[in-house]
Amino acid sequence: MNDNVIIRTENLCKYYGEKIHALEMVNAEIKKGEVVVVIGPSGSGKSTFLRSLNLLETATSGKVYFEGVDITDPKVNINIHRQKMGMVFQQFNLFPHMTVLKNLTLAPMKLKGMKAEKAEELALRMLDKVGLKDRANAYPSQLSGGQKQRVAIVRALCMNPEVMLFDEPTSALDPEMVGEVLQVMKDLAKEGMTMVVVTHEMGFAKEVADRVIFMAEGAIIEEGTPDEIFSNPGDERTQGFLKSVLNV
Amino acid sequence: MSEFFQTLQADFIKCFITKDRWKLIWDGLGSTLQITLFACLMGIAIGLVVAVIRSTYDKNGKEMRNGAAKALLSVVNWICNVYLTVIRGTPVVVQLMIMYYIVFASSRNSVMIAVVAFGINSGAYVAEIFRSGIMSIDQGQFEAGRSLGFGYISTMLYIVFPQAFKSVLPTLANEFIVLLKETSVAGYVAIQDLTKGGDIIRGATYETFMPLLTVAAIYLILVIFFTRLVSILERRLRNSER
Ligand SMILES: Nc1ncnc2c1ncn2[C@@H]1O[C@H](COP(=O)(O)OP(=O)(O)OP(=O)(O)O)[C@@H](O)[C@H]1O
Ligand SMILES: [Mg+2]
Repeated sequence: MNDNVIIRTENLCKYYGEKIHALEMVNAEIKKGEVVVVIGPSGSGKSTFLRSLNLLETATSGKVYFEGVDITDPKVNINIHRQKMGMVFQQFNLFPHMTVLKNLTLAPMKLKGMKAEKAEELALRMLDKVGLKDRANAYPSQLSGGQKQRVAIVRALCMNPEVMLFDEPTSALDPEMVGEVLQVMKDLAKEGMTMVVVTHEMGFAKEVADRVIFMAEGAIIEEGTPDEIFSNPGDERTQGFLKSVLNV
Repeated sequence: MSEFFQTLQADFIKCFITKDRWKLIWDGLGSTLQITLFACLMGIAIGLVVAVIRSTYDKNGKEMRNGAAKALLSVVNWICNVYLTVIRGTPVVVQLMIMYYIVFASSRNSVMIAVVAFGINSGAYVAEIFRSGIMSIDQGQFEAGRSLGFGYISTMLYIVFPQAFKSVLPTLANEFIVLLKETSVAGYVAIQDLTKGGDIIRGATYETFMPLLTVAAIYLILVIFFTRLVSILERRLRNSER
């Protein structure tokens, strides 16, 4: 297997009951340093796919390899691998009972045994990068949506992950706050972070993605560079989807 | 009017001063608080364990892979359900007597027996309170914890419990105020708690008014005190989230 491949799925299927095939034989590869944007209509299985990568969703069948290890194997301690896969949710999911700083230091301290001062130093440095150093002692409820999402990104980054998974990180935001979050993600991409991003922000996909995956009905219909997908979509479902999102 | 106060004073002396009868009230109060406190701690411990088992089963039981873990969880969950049904379906006095006359028939440490009986009893109610608290926490909180690499238990411990506890604190506090009052049946098994203390004075002096109203007043003061305490605590907790 190629050393550069960091995540690989093999015939991944996820069924809810008999009828709903959220994922149908998905084979995908994410390479190191790559920014992959996943697009597709609602209900096409984008979230299910993304959440299967760190096993928040357990696939009905198929395998997920992370750094060459089959993490769908029940004998594998998934917690170790999840430490290296940051995840950012649509609804932020910050811990409301902790300050921003505690949100950021909890995992490095408890999981990596980092000393309090070191964890705080790291957290503050990362916060500074997203322009939120002065909010370190605020509680999540005191932040705007855009600030919350930037903190959530930093929370994942504080674990120094190998890959970052984003599930519609800007969909719950007021329009004027989308830009600030996308900017953080762009910076992250520039630094070489491996990213898998589910989003409806086609501008971001065009600008930042190395590769775009189009999904429909639980399957990968086509994938390619943004240029290939946006200018020259092969499948008529891709064409229809792009028409509908780009013309609104 | 002064006559009335004179009788009152005489009654007071007869009920509490003569033969140091106040000690019956004082010691009884001690037992009541002791039983309530330790039963409360035991109730929290039992309640927490049962609530975790039940909510784990509710959330994951159906999705788990078949195997030893699932079988174990099902069995443990079933035991918890039996416990909840039995405890909540029978009067606490009867449970207390069963403990005293059957389970611990050979022990005469009646306060300890009462702690166990009331602890097991309140555990059932606390379990349901905790469970509703755990279930009220957004699934996203849990997923955020797991996605960082926390295991099931750590996620519960650091992320879910603190929030759940905060949300159920008023209900939980209420449960313990109920427990405080419920321990007044401890006299059934030869425990000299506050109520029994008053009752002994009543029997010895043939006075009803003074001892019983005194006992009632003490319960009332305790309840008001604890209610205040809880509302202060609640305000503190709320402030730490803005
Ligand atoms: N817990 C569940 N139970 C039953 N069906 C589910 C469940 N979760 C998802 N599904 C179904 O699986 C399919 C894929 O869902 P998924 O959330 O992955 O889509 P999506 O592409 O992320 O959509 P959206 O753009 O709306 O977020 C949908 O048909 C959805 O209804
Ligand atoms: Mg989705």
